[in-house]
Amino acid sequence: MYKDPFLTASNSIKNHYIEDWQKDNKKIVGHYCTYIPEELLYAANLLPFRIRATGHEDTDLGDIYMVRFTCSFVRATLDMALRGFYDFLDGLFICNSCDHSRRMFELFDLKVFKREGFNKKVPRFYIAIPHIVTKEGFEWYKREIEELKEEIEKNYNNKKITDEDLLNSINIYNKNRSLLREIHKLRIQDAPKITGTEALQISMANSSVPKDIANQELERILNLLKEIEGLKTDAKRVMLVGSEVDDINFTKLIENSGANIVSDFLCFGIRNFLDDVKLEDGKNPLEMISRRHYYRISCPRMMDDHQRRLDFIKDEIKRAKIDGVILQRINNCDLAGCDNMLFSHELKDLEIPVLNIDREFFQADTTRLQTRIEAFIEMIS
Amino acid sequence: MAKRVELENRIIPYKMLYEAVKSTSGLIEGILPDKGIPSLRIGLKHLKSVMEEYIQKAREGLPIIGHHFSFPTEYLSCFDCVPVCIEAVSYLLAALLPHGSEKYYDLITNWGHPFHTCTSQKGTMGMTLDDLFKFDAIITPTAPCDNTYASYPFFSYHKKIPLIAPDLPFLKEEKSYHYHGEQIKLGLEALGKVINQEPDYSKLREAIELENQVTKLQLEIFELKKVKPCPVENMFNAMSAAAAIYLSGRTEKASFYNDMLEISKKRYKNKEHHAGEEKIRSIWPYMIIFFDLELGEWLDRHLGMSILFDIFNYNFAEPINTKSDLDTMLYGMARRSMEAPMVKQSAEFYYSFIDECVQLAKDYSADCFIFTSHIGCKQFGSVPQILREALRDEVGIPMLLIDVDVGDARFASEKIIRDKIKMFSQTLM
Ligand code: SF4
Ligand code: SF4
Repeated sequence: MYKDPFLTASNSIKNHYIEDWQKDNKKIVGHYCTYIPEELLYAANLLPFRIRATGHEDTDLGDIYMVRFTCSFVRATLDMALRGFYDFLDGLFICNSCDHSRRMFELFDLKVFKREGFNKKVPRFYIAIPHIVTKEGFEWYKREIEELKEEIEKNYNNKKITDEDLLNSINIYNKNRSLLREIHKLRIQDAPKITGTEALQISMANSSVPKDIANQELERILNLLKEIEGLKTDAKRVMLVGSEVDDINFTKLIENSGANIVSDFLCFGIRNFLDDVKLEDGKNPLEMISRRHYYRISCPRMMDDHQRRLDFIKDEIKRAKIDGVILQRINNCDLAGCDNMLFSHELKDLEIPVLNIDREFFQADTTRLQTRIEAFIEMIS
Repeated sequence: MAKRVELENRIIPYKMLYEAVKSTSGLIEGILPDKGIPSLRIGLKHLKSVMEEYIQKAREGLPIIGHHFSFPTEYLSCFDCVPVCIEAVSYLLAALLPHGSEKYYDLITNWGHPFHTCTSQKGTMGMTLDDLFKFDAIITPTAPCDNTYASYPFFSYHKKIPLIAPDLPFLKEEKSYHYHGEQIKLGLEALGKVINQEPDYSKLREAIELENQVTKLQLEIFELKKVKPCPVENMFNAMSAAAAIYLSGRTEKASFYNDMLEISKKRYKNKEHHAGEEKIRSIWPYMIIFFDLELGEWLDRHLGMSILFDIFNYNFAEPINTKSDLDTMLYGMARRSMEAPMVKQSAEFYYSFIDECVQLAKDYSADCFIFTSHIGCKQFGSVPQILREALRDEVGIPMLLIDVDVGDARFASEKIIRDKIKMFSQTLM
């Protein structure tokens, strides 16, 4: 599977699907967070691209502008942007996901888009997302998305985004999520048909190509998977939870230590495709997009929603027959770090084996990590 | 009697603080000459009496309400309660006792709290883990940083303490003030339900009026700092930060700033500097070092370096309109909350922070900036270099960047910090 042409789109930042999109003079916009409503961007004929730092180990340039207490993933993306990797973007959408990524708004503005020799005018957008899940919070978020729609219309072509555009986009995205769920079913079965590393590749590739094309590719992969035998292995079934993961070296490290990552709770993972945009008669599609994004299974930035996340993990442990949970955080990621702290006690109380590790974004410290993971796998009875 | 002790033991750290304040105060009265470090003497006197009162209230069984520093203490004056500022406890203990909060940082870190989270919360979290605090409820806005969103769930999910979180949005706009004002109201109502009290808005109004008066005094002191030599001693910054929390909404606060204003005016008239000679005027756009209370005095005396102000001493909110209806007051409260130190800078893009620093450098004739890059504050992690460039290009002054944990000497010790500042100051002379 690793060499599947669709999956290889996850190995690099740019890919041929993007190039094809650009040939038609269409725009690509970058973002850092799943709270950005991609359906809205896609309805405006923009290709949403989830910013990653896959394979990039340098943070030297990024370190000039971000102190070492910040997340090495974000520093790596800044480093790449300063080196021109993200020059293909025609827009940047930032929200207050975490303190590290939200400051990319200013840094892209002052240091990336104003650097010498870069003359493109790149519009930037900011969305303020509540930190709690309440009905007042939803009203706020909904208004933000309505304003965002107007901003997008103003900045790109002055063309109204119609309900029809939105419905069309919602259908494509819902289809995309349902395909990913189908694939996930094949991942969690007793003899899994894909590894955690392949699942991550699928997810990353999916976030970097137009969704109508992704849907064709996913359908093809799904059919392929239906034909093949599942993996019959003694590997322990683990669930991976925590900070951003966009580097297969990390998942490979885990899977080479005697584990199979059969499920996860990651934003480049299943958190992305669990819930659909529900279409209800009489409700406007933009509101339904907002509703899905706001109320879907949250990430640790939502400070009053830990219980729901725990319940989800507990259910998934049963559903995917998980032997143990690996909680991981990128150093300085306070959000995942503290959520993991609570999970680790709660899961231990339920007698579920847990390993809690910290790491850097890029694969450093491999021996220490591998030793800890191997010891954990051995410990799982 | 046993009941009284049990009730009072819900706030054991306040008893520790009370003892620490009392002995530091006694020491100062015994050792320092009459006019020595007045801010410390006056500040501690008030802190002592407030602590005493809160311990008494705990003994009487009033509810213990934890709150974040960005939910101003005076907002809790609509309840009969003992307010405990989570962040201030960790750092006041760190300031007054050697290794003051370290034990509690370690307790919670060993429990799994990541090393890179903020010690301002770690201390009180450790104390709560150890059952030294028994909160009836906790209230915090969803601000100003990841540490807040990430750490506070510990109280509700692990210790099962009701947690109320009025949402505070990013970006200071009209809609944000209305939204946050409504959130404060809902928050106070929810809190009232938990502790079985109705919010008494007339008491709140009185406390806010007092705060309005205090702001005027603060602004006058702030104005005096423009002159050379600065007529306000460095220790004032630390005591003012403590006053902002512990004396909030109380007459003691007005009295503290009143006394300090009179002293500063006198020094101003006599062109007098607290420690003899002012050689360097520094601005600390971020925090001072809390575990080294004496640092300010050392800078005054040994380097002749004035700390004109730090982040807790240059953010002043507009007075709140208390004369109109409740919604207008809540709107004003929302504005004040969003101008609180750190919230102000976190609830907007940092362009205005940079502009403000440049302007302050000019208006206050600063010779340098000292930026303490605190391990907890990721929201400021991308500011220092941009600020340094702006100060260099627009004012022509340098900035020293120190990586620290402002509440824990084990990250960068007193000696390391002082050595760095000393070396930096030599380059300025
Ligand atoms: S890993 Fe954590 S700190 Fe890094 S971008 Fe994601 S949420 Fe932010
Ligand atoms: S803003 Fe900084 S000092 Fe304040 S609580 Fe957050 S991390 Fe701690």
